[in-house]
Amino acid sequence: MARRGGLGGFWNEERKLSLQVFLSNKPAVVGLVIVLIYIADALIVQFAPWLLGLKNPYALTPNYINPIPQPPSWKYPLGTTYPGVNLLTAIIKAIRVDLGLSVAVVLPGAGLGIVIGIIATYIGGWVDDLLMRITDIFFSVPYLVLAIAVGYVLGRDITSMIIALIIVWWPLYARYTRSVTLQVRELTFIEAARAAGASNAKIMFRHILPNALPPVLVQMSMDLGTVMLVISALAFIGFLPVSNFPELGYLTTLGLNYINTAPWTILFPGIVIVIFAVSVYLLGMGLMDVINPRRRSSL
Amino acid sequence: MSKEESIVKIRDLRLSYYTRRGVYHALNGVDLDIMRGEVLGVAGESGCGKSTLGLTIMGLLPRNAAIENGEVMVDGFDVVRPLREYFRRSKGKFKPTKNDDVLKKLHKAMMNIRGVKVSMVFQEPMTTLNPVMPVGYQIAEVLLQHNVSLLAKRRLARAKATREDMKAILGYLRGNDMASMMDYIKSRRLEGIEDQVMAYWRRRDLHDLVKEIRILSLCCDAVNPMLRPGLSYAARTNRLPSAPVLRQLVRHELVKEGYRKAAEYLGLLGMPEPEKVVKMYPHELSGGMRQRVVIATAMINNPELVILDEPTSALDVTIQAQILDLLKDLKQETKAAYMFISHDLSLLYQVSDRIAIMYAGKVVEVGPKDSVFKEPKHPYTQMLLEAVPTLEPHELKGIRGEVPDLRNPPKGCMFHPRCPFAMPICREKEPPTVDVGSGHKVACWLYAGGGEKK
Amino acid sequence: MYYIPTLIGLTVMVFAILHAGGPYKLIAPYINPRLSGPARQEQIQMLIQKFHLNQPIYVQYFYWLWALLHGNLGYTTTPIFSGPATEALAIFFPNTAVLAIFAGVLMWIIGIPLGTWSAVRKDKPDDVAIRVFSYTLYGMPIYLLAVVLIIIFAVYLKLLPISGVVNPELTVGLSWYVNGISYPTHVLIIDAIIHGDWKLALNAFEHLILPAFTLALAAMAGVINILRASMIEVLDQDYVRFARSKGLPEGVVTKKHARPTAMFPVYTNFAYTVAGMLSGVVVVESVFDYPGIGYWLTQSMLGNDMGGIMAGTLIFGLIFVTTSLALDILFAIKDPRIRLG
Ligand SMILES: Nc1ncnc2c1ncn2[C@@H]1O[C@H](COP(=O)(O)OP(=O)(O)O)[C@@H](O)[C@H]1O
Ligand code: SF4
Ligand SMILES: [Mg+2]
Repeated sequence: MARRGGLGGFWNEERKLSLQVFLSNKPAVVGLVIVLIYIADALIVQFAPWLLGLKNPYALTPNYINPIPQPPSWKYPLGTTYPGVNLLTAIIKAIRVDLGLSVAVVLPGAGLGIVIGIIATYIGGWVDDLLMRITDIFFSVPYLVLAIAVGYVLGRDITSMIIALIIVWWPLYARYTRSVTLQVRELTFIEAARAAGASNAKIMFRHILPNALPPVLVQMSMDLGTVMLVISALAFIGFLPVSNFPELGYLTTLGLNYINTAPWTILFPGIVIVIFAVSVYLLGMGLMDVINPRRRSSL
Repeated sequence: MSKEESIVKIRDLRLSYYTRRGVYHALNGVDLDIMRGEVLGVAGESGCGKSTLGLTIMGLLPRNAAIENGEVMVDGFDVVRPLREYFRRSKGKFKPTKNDDVLKKLHKAMMNIRGVKVSMVFQEPMTTLNPVMPVGYQIAEVLLQHNVSLLAKRRLARAKATREDMKAILGYLRGNDMASMMDYIKSRRLEGIEDQVMAYWRRRDLHDLVKEIRILSLCCDAVNPMLRPGLSYAARTNRLPSAPVLRQLVRHELVKEGYRKAAEYLGLLGMPEPEKVVKMYPHELSGGMRQRVVIATAMINNPELVILDEPTSALDVTIQAQILDLLKDLKQETKAAYMFISHDLSLLYQVSDRIAIMYAGKVVEVGPKDSVFKEPKHPYTQMLLEAVPTLEPHELKGIRGEVPDLRNPPKGCMFHPRCPFAMPICREKEPPTVDVGSGHKVACWLYAGGGEKK
Repeated sequence: MYYIPTLIGLTVMVFAILHAGGPYKLIAPYINPRLSGPARQEQIQMLIQKFHLNQPIYVQYFYWLWALLHGNLGYTTTPIFSGPATEALAIFFPNTAVLAIFAGVLMWIIGIPLGTWSAVRKDKPDDVAIRVFSYTLYGMPIYLLAVVLIIIFAVYLKLLPISGVVNPELTVGLSWYVNGISYPTHVLIIDAIIHGDWKLALNAFEHLILPAFTLALAAMAGVINILRASMIEVLDQDYVRFARSKGLPEGVVTKKHARPTAMFPVYTNFAYTVAGMLSGVVVVESVFDYPGIGYWLTQSMLGNDMGGIMAGTLIFGLIFVTTSLALDILFAIKDPRIRLG
């Protein structure tokens, strides 16, 4: 294919191929668009709530005069949930909270895990063994249970929920980073660099890390969805003793007593989570294709 | 069966691989015949489409391979027809997924060709075998699929044969009187025993005494009477009985028999301790042993054509020599035809009857091996042979110029950018294939038009 | 292989969690709230003495571990049960085991064929349908899945009960079912069968279906996705082509040659599946008011009941570590490359 003039340097063959591979994965593109919409929602609620006419962007606005859930209507496009909360605005507000919480868990959790994973592979030997045994121990308690236990110690609030989930999540990243790093270390060009006399640290940070990180980053993007699922599940079982908190799991619990008469109070907040989690997953799959050399070359 | 009859007939085969990086024209008008019983050597630089050609004959192409034209007749069956028709129908919008559907149907249509008429030994013995299946089962599977009758007969014959029978058979063997032995077996209705007897008798690694003891001990291996009708049915019809439980039981018995046959065959191929090896998994075997297993799988059902895709190039030199000796022996003992793919010309000279030279997805020269080696016609062949210092095993290398980019192959004769004799017409028109005598054919303008030079 | 060290680590972790809140948090549940002044102080001193809280922390750990090994898990006070945590375990654990095993079996027998089929039919409409199904399950918070199933099957179709373990009307006057606890196994279905009450057993089974399907479907998404991806990879391997070269039917090629190796990623990821499932148990049991250890744990959490949280964490850890050990052994048997060294 002819190279486009001017941008030749940037649009080199490989980058163009990456883009092509990504774009040819239609679900991934859809996922990307949806994720961007969620991010836009969160940013607008955070920085410019007036754009959407939100008066009280960081909390739910109950209406005790008419608390019974109302079906969708012109006034309330997604209906209302108990106690008289407009679901549409509630969901718009909740996206910011859930996305923010996910990022607040994934970034530090992954950062910590990546550092520990790299230390484990870099030093190796008994340090590696020890660190991996520690991840085993953290991993031995199912994450929701561990979060509950940590929540008991720290008191159940948002901060402790974030800390609890970071404690739950870092071992996953430590292990994953370790496994990809080990894989990369086996590759031949690393041998070549070693033969050329590069120091260990240089090999680690100049050669291994850049090749090991992309899959970990893809994993992070996918985990934004997983963590959101866990957060909402925790909120659902009552981890957060709060009221009027715009969080999707909590929002779902509000309508639970009306399950017979007002299913939308549960379905709409739920669907918003499903769409996000599926979108990040599809996006992640698309990115995975891009970094997978076999996928790049075949049709 | 005359020697001139062909088992495979390929005409103007054009195949492209569709990838994200472009369309690779891997085969560009291949014309080739493989005669019954011959060894056809196929040579050429790596990437010239040798493996692709072999895979096409087997119908084992990947889904991104488009058959743009041509036919591949295997014993009268056009392997590529559905693929070619799909390509025509797709009208430039070739979709690998759709092609895959066609391939799936082809797999079904070819079930009774693969492993029966044609089989293939792949290039890479380390990855060819299933890592989680005992190798004996992988060998026996061919028979379990296509020839349960043989297995059932063998089992029944062992149950029926008495010690006296075996003594009689051994007598004929000692006297080297095969015809009488067969008559005896027929009259005693012991068909299936000869297969086992011969497998021991032909072993080279066993002392005669050991052979005789083994042959004698083939008798009186009683079979569960419940299974006897099922086994007889399988022996008669070459199918397993359909009653559910009986089917499983008979199958189980035949699987055991399959392992036995696999071990015998591996023994014939010079595998030490074959009875143990059949129960092992591929990772317990060395490369050479694995390749023997693959060869055994390809040969055990006596196919009419075996495609050997660089069967030795992944192995180290001593093992290579062993495998080659083995193949030479097999050639003596079976009536099969072989398509021997290699990039090693001296090796091909040792094993082949005829040689085909490929360049950029085209057979540029083909003919009897002496004719091709002693009087190479095509400039590419000449350069290849010049690059071979001796007839010792040796890789093709050191010829001038670069392998063409198959996404954009040169017009006219594809060799012209590297050819010292290139003429204007070579850049314009593809040279026709002409016969320069006694089946020696060459595709080059130097010989077109009755061999006169322009 | 690291079973014992991991278990020891687990006890250390639970101990650390317990003690991170300081000694008073530990003994608070035991202080008689009606006491005050010096009497209260005296009781506190006595409790500190009794629980060895004035000893160095590692000594405390061994005292605690000692008690633990003697089956002393402390006390739990929740709306659904008050008393020794070991007793609570005896009541709740069997229910959870039945639920989780049933769900695991369902997940396996539905998930594996779907994953295989989806890979074999890559990009065909049925593959797309399976993927939409599995992606949706993947992205679905488990409580939502539970609620959706309730809405469909209990509220609208009225085929299955909404929650609980049994229709209370059927248990009136039963000698072996008292205060929501059945005897002798504490698993209602089994006890009903033991006592020959088939109607009750059937009813209890109906109550099990929705929670089990919720758990199974939630865990299935991962299995389907992993199996599909690895199956697609394996179907391109040389040995699959070799199998085809023998003229085997496609069914044999995929099921017998491709799938056994394609399953290995499913096995190695199975620990994550189990972890997800055990987390799911917590949510599912509280949605369905199903009296298992997950429900007990949520109740403990809501009531800040230390005994329940500690025992729950410990038992969930123990279940997980033990199942992964069992699965490791089982799957190693399946892989000759590991089995034979
Ligand atoms: N699955 C495939 N997809 C794309 N291109 C392929 C594929 N298989 C082979 N090719 C290309 O087709 C050409 C011929 O390959 P091959 O038949 O393997 O050659 P040989 O066996 O002679 O080395 C090569 O250029 C190779 O890169
Ligand atoms: S046709 Fe022309 S370019 Fe091609 S080999 Fe013959 S002489 Fe050379
Ligand atoms: Mg090749």
